[in-house]
This record gives sequence, C-alpha cells and structure tokens, in this order.
Amino acid sequence: MKRIEVKLSLAAVAPLLDVAKLAADSLQNSLAAPPRLDELDPEFRAAWQAELIAAQGTEVAALLALFDREFFSTGVVAFDEANAEIIMRACSALRLRLRAQFLGDVPDDQLESGDVRLAGLTDPVRRAFMCYIFLATIQELILHHLDSVVLGETEAEPEAEAGEEEGI
Amino acid sequence: MQKPALRGCARRRGTFNAFPLNRIQSSTAPQHALHPELALEGAWRVVVLNDPVNLMSYVVLVFQKVLGFDEPTARRHMLEVHELGRSVVWTGLREKAEHYSYTLQQWHLSAILEPDEAH
Repeated sequence: MKRIEVKLSLAAVAPLLDVAKLAADSLQNSLAAPPRLDELDPEFRAAWQAELIAAQGTEVAALLALFDREFFSTGVVAFDEANAEIIMRACSALRLRLRAQFLGDVPDDQLESGDVRLAGLTDPVRRAFMCYIFLATIQELILHHLDSVVLGETEAEPEAEAGEEEGI
Repeated sequence: MQKPALRGCARRRGTFNAFPLNRIQSSTAPQHALHPELALEGAWRVVVLNDPVNLMSYVVLVFQKVLGFDEPTARRHMLEVHELGRSVVWTGLREKAEHYSYTLQQWHLSAILEPDEAH
C-alpha cells in the first residue's frame, strides 16, 4: 500500500486545528457548496441534499480524526489509499466553509493566487487564511504523491463512452 | 459509494417500462427511437461552475476520476471553468446526468443540471 507520512510542527498546526474544528462544526447541517437543484422535485432534492450532508460529515470527521492523541505525541499524519480521497474532499469542504465564514472580504484573485498581505488581516481572518492554506497543502501532498491511488478506481465508465456522449 | 437517491430516481421515472426497447428495435424504426428516454425527456447537461477555492489540480483530478476524462481533456475543461466561469462536462440522459452531477457535488464542485436545448 502506497503511504506517505508527514511530520508537522505541533506549535504551528495546533492553532489551525481550532479553526478547522469551528468550520467543521458549522457544516453539521449544511453543505460547504450548496448545490443549485432547481431541476429536481422537492422530495428528491431533500434526499439528495441529506445524502450529501451525511457524506460530507463522514469526510470531515475522518480529517479531524487524523489529529488525534497520537498526532499530538508524534506530530505525524499519514495518508494512504484508504483515506486519500476522503481527506481531499474534507479539505475542500472546510476550505469552502472557511472562505464563506471568514474570508469573504479577501478578493477572489488574491485567494486563488495565495498572494494575501497577512499584516492587513485581523487575527481571526489571518488564522482562517493560514488554515485555508494548510488544508490546500494537504490536498497538494495527496495530489502529488497519491493521485494514481485516487485515480485507480474511476467512477465513470471507460472514457470512450463518456467521450461519445460528452458532445462538447 | 452509496447513491440510493439516484436509484430512487430511476424507479421514479421508469421510462424503460414505458418504452421497452424490444418494441422499437425493428428495421423500420427511425434511428433516434433507439433512445426512448431522450424522446421523452430530452438531453441534459452537467455544467460545472467556477469557484475561487478548489485547486486547479484538484478539479483536474475530479474530472478524471468522476467523468473518466484523460488528463488533457480534464485540464481543458478545468481551464474553461476557470476562464469562462462554466464548462459543460457531460451531455446525455437525465438519469446519468443526475448521477454525474451528484458525484461532482460530493467532491464539492459546483455542478448543476441544465436541459440541453440543442436536443
């Protein structure tokens, strides 16, 4: 099994986990990226959203569980084929929520480039931004080292068929 | 990955029961009748909208994973989303469009369903 272990600075990461936990708590009954489901009837839409929220809850719980008692003794987190996908999705959900909750005043182009002047931010916003970057770094680590693991089992049918119907 | 709601969707529509394929696969049947669901419901598009949060490399991976795109195709669609604000990533039957839309939303991409006016 392909596996990567990352040693993190406890002093740097611990304050960011508080922010991540805040964002996670706010996601218990709502979606990080609320979908537009105008084309669905109300009953189907409710079931659709409920399943997305349940899946999101599982992902976020898996991410937070990485930072357990063992992490606080070793500073090490590990990613492998068992958790790579779910952790990447959890990072995406938390980043979206952090953006909505704390980073609304940061222009999109600065968020996309990461070129934000930290001195100009209030303390809560600065910590949220650092957490936002931390979660992106986790995603990049997984993308860099475990992308083949994530892609190993694609959800779509073979590309030829998808391409045939794609019609773009 | 569990998607019971999508199975529920299939039961709800039941278009295959309404138009069993063995009733229309004759030599005189028009070619388009081989897709009775399209005749009943039209084609649907799965559109991914831009967001300033998800990493470009993440979006490329999701397109590969969910839609089965090769890397250049996934990258082309990602850039279309990034530069134009949206990209049509799939067109076809409603039920399958719902499946792709739902799965892309599980990856926290802004995916929507639209009727394809061209069909």
